[in-house]
Amino acid sequence: MKKFCAINQRRFSALNAGLAALIIFCALWPGNASAHRVNVFAWVEGDTIHSQSKFSGGRRVKEGVVVVYDLGGNELLTGKTDDRGEFSFKMPRRVGMKMTVQAGTGHRGEWTILADEIGDISGVKAEPAAPVQTVSEKPAGRAGVSGVDRDEIRRIVEQTLDRKLKPVMDLLVETRDTGPSLRDILGGTGYLLGLMGLAAYLHFRRKSAELETEKKD
Amino acid sequence: MHISEGILSGPVLVSGIVVAVTGTAIGLKKLDFERIPRAAILSAAFFVASLIHVPIGPSNVHLILNGIVGLILGWGAFPVILVALVLQAVFFQFGGITTLGVNTMIMALPAVCCYYLFGGLVCKGPRIALPAAFACGALSVFLGGIMVGLALIFTEENFLKVSYLVVAAHVPIMIIEGLITVFCVAFLKKVQPDMLRGLGA
Repeated sequence: MKKFCAINQRRFSALNAGLAALIIFCALWPGNASAHRVNVFAWVEGDTIHSQSKFSGGRRVKEGVVVVYDLGGNELLTGKTDDRGEFSFKMPRRVGMKMTVQAGTGHRGEWTILADEIGDISGVKAEPAAPVQTVSEKPAGRAGVSGVDRDEIRRIVEQTLDRKLKPVMDLLVETRDTGPSLRDILGGTGYLLGLMGLAAYLHFRRKSAELETEKKD
Repeated sequence: MHISEGILSGPVLVSGIVVAVTGTAIGLKKLDFERIPRAAILSAAFFVASLIHVPIGPSNVHLILNGIVGLILGWGAFPVILVALVLQAVFFQFGGITTLGVNTMIMALPAVCCYYLFGGLVCKGPRIALPAAFACGALSVFLGGIMVGLALIFTEENFLKVSYLVVAAHVPIMIIEGLITVFCVAFLKKVQPDMLRGLGA
């Protein structure tokens, strides 16, 4: 019996080594990050909203069906992403919006644009607390003397900011999507080993309880 | 083959959960202690396999490994795939929590089918076993594609079109998985042949 166990043990460890090699091979595969999650990223530029949709790993979502809702869930407009996964539209109303992208065969992603991000260039009275506005307020007061319209200045500031922030936004779009990291992968495998340990613990507790009762008998 | 959240309707989600819970219950019952380490390792392999991305075809596809999981564990594939999918949903945001049931069904049901179809064949001589292993790896992915089509039948309407799209995108995966399964079966036959009898017997 003992001998059999020893042989069995050896075979089993060879097998485990093989499977472990397979797992490591998977984790370190060069084309690592992969499919299935759809990342949507949208930003405001003037009165237009630009968006870019990608699968995790960086492939663009082509011909994805875009539906834009307001935050109350009413449909505002629909469209399709182009070959670069991009979709832009003029805001129909200046409200918070939720954008969903369906990439077909069960893939979907969404992004919410809050009313705060949309800002205000049309001169519609906005809540006074927004910090960007207090900045643009000061020159507006001074410029009032030289006869330049306050809204005009606000519009110029908004446009300049949009232009200056464009590279930052592009950078954000690029870096936001990194796919699963090694940390995620190791974390997940760790959980699985933990579950195995838990099963072993429960099993041997039951076993030792059985032995105990046998001893008493 | 992970369906995202917010696509499927309530009844589809609920029936997915019912199938997944039933399968998991049967699987746990058949999963005796000696097979727990095996199940955990296969679960880890399944969990990580989704990161192998094959950049061919119209959509984004990755390895699934449900064929080999089913072949070795039979009904045990259900709990193993469920646990791995929970971790994928939490760590990678693949699929989602509400679609766990449906996604488990999509990948575990073909695994169990393949176990019943090929479980006996892979125990025979290599001339039967190796082609059977290839068919097992490929068919489990193919059936998964059909399951996706079935799950989306109430939302994207055209069952044939969706199934065709998913299956077509997975053709390279089917070939690769077939080869991986052949490799695994050949290896197991040498190292531990009694492992290929699964849990259903």
